[in-house]
Amino acid sequence: MTAPAPPTTPADTSTPANTSTAPTDASTASPAATPTRRPLPVPDEQSAPFWAAVARHELMIARCARCGAFTHPPDIICPHCGSTDPGFTFQPVGGRGTVRSWTVVRQSFLPGFDVPFVLVDVELAEQSELRLIGRLLDGPDAPLRVGTPVTVAFEDVAPEVAIPAFELAGEA
Amino acid sequence: MSENDAARDDQARGDRARGDRARGDRARGDRARGDRARGDRARGDRARGDRARGDQQHSGGSASGATSDRQRRSWARSGQQRRGRPSNEVAVVGYAHSLVRRHAPEPLGVLAVDTARRAIADAGLEVADVDGFVSASMFPTAGAHAVEDGTSIVSSQWMAAHLGADARYTAGFDGVGALTGSLALGVNAVASGTADYVLLHRALHNPVGSYHANPMKAAVGWQQWTVPQGFFGPLQMIALPYNEYLARYGASREAMAAVLVEARKNGARIPWSYWHGKPLTAEEYLAAQTLVDPICRYDCDIPVDGVATFVLTSAERAADLPNKPVYIAGYASGLPPRRRLAQHWPLDDIMDAGFGLASRLWERSGVGPAEIDLPQVYDGFSPFVYFWLEVLGLCPVGEAHRFVQAGGIDADRPDGLPALSGGGALGNGRMHGVPQMLECYLQLSGRAGERQRDKATIGVACHSSPHYGGAVVYSAVPF
Ligand SMILES: [Zn+2]
Repeated sequence: MTAPAPPTTPADTSTPANTSTAPTDASTASPAATPTRRPLPVPDEQSAPFWAAVARHELMIARCARCGAFTHPPDIICPHCGSTDPGFTFQPVGGRGTVRSWTVVRQSFLPGFDVPFVLVDVELAEQSELRLIGRLLDGPDAPLRVGTPVTVAFEDVAPEVAIPAFELAGEA
Repeated sequence: MSENDAARDDQARGDRARGDRARGDRARGDRARGDRARGDRARGDRARGDRARGDQQHSGGSASGATSDRQRRSWARSGQQRRGRPSNEVAVVGYAHSLVRRHAPEPLGVLAVDTARRAIADAGLEVADVDGFVSASMFPTAGAHAVEDGTSIVSSQWMAAHLGADARYTAGFDGVGALTGSLALGVNAVASGTADYVLLHRALHNPVGSYHANPMKAAVGWQQWTVPQGFFGPLQMIALPYNEYLARYGASREAMAAVLVEARKNGARIPWSYWHGKPLTAEEYLAAQTLVDPICRYDCDIPVDGVATFVLTSAERAADLPNKPVYIAGYASGLPPRRRLAQHWPLDDIMDAGFGLASRLWERSGVGPAEIDLPQVYDGFSPFVYFWLEVLGLCPVGEAHRFVQAGGIDADRPDGLPALSGGGALGNGRMHGVPQMLECYLQLSGRAGERQRDKATIGVACHSSPHYGGAVVYSAVPF
């Protein structure tokens, strides 16, 4: 089969990113990260606030200043209202969502991932079809079905670098 | 989209369809053809009724009931008297296919030029006759492999130059439904008079080393949203919607064994196939470890070196050539689906966009699912077989797993739907839609040899996923 062309667009450096959040500094960065061979994100002008927030263990999602809809990942044009000047700013979200699908990865084509691990396709509570994919940290035997509630978690993978993931939220 | 939006959308499409139909009728002024098509459709309606009754025996569940409304809308549109130009104006008149091997001893470009020369001779032509070149040259690996024209890909320009042809037109299709998309370029080039004889080729390369493994250390740009999270590569891409299907419809890996057994059974009969003489048993399939649940290695077509070439020309010119022409009745390509993370293909995205593709396919080709006696579904990953069977209306939504498990696609059964009779990608190797197109050509032109089927009049060849891919309707006779 195919490795399709990426449907997402690399960040456009001309798009203003939200810089209102405090920059990460050593005192707020994730503690005691262990060295990893996992590929690390390279923040760019648009995504920098996202990764800075994740490093503080906060999930923020880009929101269009014109129509208010969340978009992940941000684009250069709002996919909801079509604005070519969406003025995306990253806004905090609750991090709760439900599992739409999942898979247990037993062979990884990337370096640094111990197998098996679970990936979950999660719809966030804030908006219909606002979906993120991440690791489920409860292990490969976690009971999963469509609709299982999960909440965001964070993996500290390097000094001042964290990656958003998920864990079971229980039925509450 | 809400139901109201969907209804408005349908209305808009209907209005457009009526407008186009009126224009088309005036342009063609061919009442006889319309009558014949109506007659065919009446027969098709009867057949469709028979199939629907058969399906009721093993259908059930509210989910399939809900989506069958969508199917009915699709069929209702297909029943309209509308065909797009150029329908049946262009034909496939010759072909050649290289051996499919894990690693060919000769460079890909050499294999491509040799195969092109054979196809041109097969069509009763000389290189000097061929003035159009179309192809797609996507190199479908997620690994860190160089892309070099003539070695890992072969573009139309490269082909034309190295054949020594006097080209008037070269073009490459850059979408995901590569073979169907490039065929459409060729059809339109011939129909518009841009080129008289078009060579369509697809050259696939299997690089040395791991196909998809990628040693990347930094995730830049679009990859930053998925790669650091461990979501990467086509197996994970297809595992998520496949698992969604299993969960939603209660399907099992046991059902998918029937798909693999059928593809490999038919591929084993094809002399150039990588899997020639090597069928697969259900036990072997089920014994394989999953790599990315529920996908095991047999669910993925195997990467290969191989080239296929076809020659297209007008129906008028085809009449003077040695082989029985096979006409292109219509085609449809995927439109941009909902924007997602890279390689995130939720099941509903695939199916919703697939229903749209199917309805455009039936509109443009003037036939519906019941008229198709050779539906060659795409199977580069095995779950695509389910998705295509369902979006094309060949079985109810959510029922494909039961349909295949009950022998519904067994091409050796008189009542079986020969959906993988050409072996598909799972039974030939990663030839990206070529096995589907080639089976339509061979069967409809009567050139399938020992594999020739008694009844093969209208085929459909699919490529890639129903939402990013494409499909083409072929006919043994112009209508
Ligand atoms: Zn917007």
